[in-house]
Amino acid sequence: MTPSLPTSSAESLMPARERGFVEDLGAVGLELLRTGRELYSLFLRTIYYSLRGRREPGALGQAMFEIGNRSLFFLTVVMGFIGMIMVYQGGAQTKRVLPDLTLLGATYLELLIRDLAASIGALMLATRVGAGIAAEIGSMVVTEQVDALRMCAADPVDYLVKPRFIACIVMMTVLGIWSATVAYLTGMLTAYVWFDVSPLTFSNLALVDVVDLGTGLAKCIAYGAAIPVVSGHAGLATFGGSEGVGSATTRAVVNSSLAVIMLNLLISATSFVLFG
Amino acid sequence: MAAAPVTTTPPDEPARGLVQGAGSAALAVSQAIGAMGLLASRIFSRIAKLELDRDELVRNLYRMGFQSMPIVIVTALFTGGIMVVQAAPLVNRIGAHGLLGWAAGFGTLREIAPLLTALMINGRVGANNTAELGTMVVTEQIDAMRVLAIDPVSFLVAPRFIAITATLFISTVFADVLALLGASMMGDALLGVAPVTFYNGLTSGLLGVGDIASGLVKSVLFGVLIGLSSCQFGLGVTGGAPGVGRAVNATVVASAAGVFVIDYFVSFTL
Repeated sequence: MTPSLPTSSAESLMPARERGFVEDLGAVGLELLRTGRELYSLFLRTIYYSLRGRREPGALGQAMFEIGNRSLFFLTVVMGFIGMIMVYQGGAQTKRVLPDLTLLGATYLELLIRDLAASIGALMLATRVGAGIAAEIGSMVVTEQVDALRMCAADPVDYLVKPRFIACIVMMTVLGIWSATVAYLTGMLTAYVWFDVSPLTFSNLALVDVVDLGTGLAKCIAYGAAIPVVSGHAGLATFGGSEGVGSATTRAVVNSSLAVIMLNLLISATSFVLFG
Repeated sequence: MAAAPVTTTPPDEPARGLVQGAGSAALAVSQAIGAMGLLASRIFSRIAKLELDRDELVRNLYRMGFQSMPIVIVTALFTGGIMVVQAAPLVNRIGAHGLLGWAAGFGTLREIAPLLTALMINGRVGANNTAELGTMVVTEQIDAMRVLAIDPVSFLVAPRFIAITATLFISTVFADVLALLGASMMGDALLGVAPVTFYNGLTSGLLGVGDIASGLVKSVLFGVLIGLSSCQFGLGVTGGAPGVGRAVNATVVASAAGVFVIDYFVSFTL
C-alpha cells in the first residue's frame, strides 16, 4: 500500500507493472512490518515522554480543547442520529421475531455501553482528530518547523505528539460517556415515538454489568491512545509539499479507523472469551 | 485550528457570542450545501451531454476503486466478526443459535456494511480527492486548464464524481459478502455455530431482497455525497499547503456527518 500520489500528468496513468505478484506481496508485507515497528517505537517514546517529559499544562489544555470541545458538536449530531437509526432498525427487525419490545431498551443500552458509544464515537474522532493532527503536524514538517524543533534539541514527539496523546485519552473517555448519553436519549425518544415503549421501560439497566462498563471504558482508552499515535506517525512521515500533507491526512484517517476497528474486535472478543 | 504557530489567529475569529457562532455556522453549512448543489448541476449537465474524459474516468476508477480493495476487505472481515461478538450474548441468552445469521445479517446488510464502507472510502478516497484537487488549485493547474480552454468540470470533476459513486457501490457489494463471511467464521470460532447453520439463518425468509437493496441504495447516496463534497472542498482551497490540510479535514468531517444524516432519512423512508 504505497500511497504514491500521481499528479494530473497524463503519462502516469497506471503504476509500472513490472513487479511480479510475489514481489508485490513481499513489498506489502515489508511495508506493514516497517510501519508496525515505527508505530511501536513512536508509542514507546510517547509513553516515555508522558511519564518523564516536560510538564506543559498550556499545550495540554489547548490540545484538550482542540480534541474535546471542538469535536463535541460533530459527535453530538452523529451520535444523535446513530441512536435513532439503531433503535428504529433494531425494533423493526425484532418485531418480526419477538412480539414484545420490553427488552429493547435493556438490550440497546447494553450494546451501547459495551460497544457502540465508544466505537462509533472513536471512528468519528479518528476522522476528525486524526485528520486534524496529521494536517497540523504535516504542515509543520513541510514548512520545516519540525526540523527547527530538532535543531533546538527538542524531540518533536515530546512537543507535538505527547500533549495530543494525553489529551486524546482523556477526551476520548469523556466523549465516549457523552456519546452514550446522547445516543441513549435519542434512542429513548425513537422507541417512544415509533414503538410506544415508555421511557421508563426503556431505561432498563438490568443487562448492564461491570464487564460491559469495563469493556466500554477499556475501548475508550485504547482508541484514545491509538488515534494520536497513528495519526502523529502519519504526520511526522510527511514529505513533499501540499500534496504530501494531503496524503498524510488520508493515511491518518484510514489507518486510525482501521486501528479502531481492529482494536474493537480484539477487545470485544477478549472480553467475551474471558467473561462470557 | 492554527496550522502553524507563525500565523497566530485566523482573521475571522474575534471573540464571538453563542448566537453569532450558531448563525455563522448555519451560514457556512448552507453555503457549502448551495455550492455542492451548483457543482452537482454542472456535473450532471456534463454527464448528460457525455462530455467526459474517458481516460481520466478509467484512471480514477482504477485508483479509487481497485486500490481501495484491501481496506474494504480488511474492514468488512473485521466488521463481520465484531457483529457476531456483539450479537453473541444476545443469542446465547435467547438460546437461538439458528438466529445468529439473521441477527448479524440484517445489521450488516442494512446498516453496518454500507456505513463503515462509506466511512473508510470517505477517509481514503474522499480525502485523497480533496487533497489532489486542492493541490491543483494551489499550484494553479486548474487556472492553466481554463486558459487552455479545457473544461475542468468535464475533465477533472465529473470523472471523479462518477468514479467515487461507482467505487462506493461496488465496495458495498463486496463488503456485504465479506462481512457475512467474516461473521460466519467468527460465529464458528466463538460460538460454535456451523457456517451451514449461519447460512440457514440468513436465508430462512426473515431477510429479503429489500434488506440488501436498502443498503445498496444508501451506498449510492453516500457516494454522491462524498463525491460532491470532496470535489467542492478541493476546488475551494485557499492558502498553500496548510490550506490543503484544512480542506481535507473539513471534507472528511462534513462527509462523515452527512453520511449519518442521509442514513437516518433513508432508514426511515425505506
